Amino acid sequence: MLLELSEEHKEHLAFLPQVDSAVVAEFGRIAVEFLRRGANPKIYEGAARKLNVSSDTVQHGVEGLTYLLTESSKLMLYLDNRKEIRTILSELAPSLPSYHNLEWRLDVQLASRSLRQQIKPAVTIKLHLNQNGDHNTKVLQTDPATLLHLVQQLEQALEEMKTNHCRRVVRNIK
Amino acid sequence: MELSESVQKGFQMLADPRSFDSNAFTLLLRAAFQSLLDAQADEAVLDHPDLKHIDPVVLKHCHAAAATYILEAGKHRADKSTLSTYLEDCKFDRERIELFCTEYQNNKNSLEILLGSIGRSLPHITDVSWRLEYQIKTNQLHRMYRPAYLVTLSVQNTDSPSYPEISFSCSMEQLQDLVGKLKDASKSLERATQL
Repeated sequence: MLLELSEEHKEHLAFLPQVDSAVVAEFGRIAVEFLRRGANPKIYEGAARKLNVSSDTVQHGVEGLTYLLTESSKLMLYLDNRKEIRTILSELAPSLPSYHNLEWRLDVQLASRSLRQQIKPAVTIKLHLNQNGDHNTKVLQTDPATLLHLVQQLEQALEEMKTNHCRRVVRNIK
Repeated sequence: MELSESVQKGFQMLADPRSFDSNAFTLLLRAAFQSLLDAQADEAVLDHPDLKHIDPVVLKHCHAAAATYILEAGKHRADKSTLSTYLEDCKFDRERIELFCTEYQNNKNSLEILLGSIGRSLPHITDVSWRLEYQIKTNQLHRMYRPAYLVTLSVQNTDSPSYPEISFSCSMEQLQDLVGKLKDASKSLERATQL
């Protein structure tokens, strides 16, 4: 991301290189004051007289500098948080709920209204999903055989990432 | 087991060789089991020529009594002695008691499976399918390259065919987390069955 300034802007700042560094420093200070407390015409007039320029020039100079400062700090903020910002933006893509967490519990059904004296093992699962910032949970159940099947299938899915085919794609499409 | 007078009366009629001869008794008994266990069974189950001579009202009553009793016995996992005692009380002769118990024993497993499947439960996961994709670009963010999984769980609901599927996306790390937790559950289950 590059800092882009309009022509007008460049004009406003044009006189800065022509004055000595003490003046620029003073301008910087005024610009920060401007950010903090807004415009102060008296200061502009004082500076204008000292530099022998119009107070408009001073005002533009201050405003130009202020803009430069805010844009730079935005860039700094961006640079510092780039990774996180990109992650968040990527999650803004049209998306499905995404996995957040899974809790599980073992249950054994001992009886029901229609059948007594049972031993029916089951696994109760609480699946936590996120979608568009909303946290969603689903409570599900499965039997031991299906649980083994799920583990086996998903382990195969993970294995797939390690195959040559996937490695080649990831390596070459960047 | 709580059985109504109606059931008892029906069985008393069934016990009587003057109302039901041996053949008719066996046919009615089989019809009762069939009505309960055969998904395709309908009213025609009592349409056998050898049952035509019996008053239809009596036939229906006895059929209902037998079916009711069979369900109650199945629900409470009645053993042979419980069955015998009740049938004796209804004046069944030895031969008919034996016949009943044999038929019951033959159909016991199916009966228990049927009864065990009745009832409400949480949505039940029956299968999983997955897809591995490599995301290249979105309209929000140019050029992002990352692999992602799309997992779909097939779910059966006792209430209605709502939500037959639950889909979600996850990264490789998240899938590893998911699989890890499922494996923990699985190991825990294994340990529990060895107790």
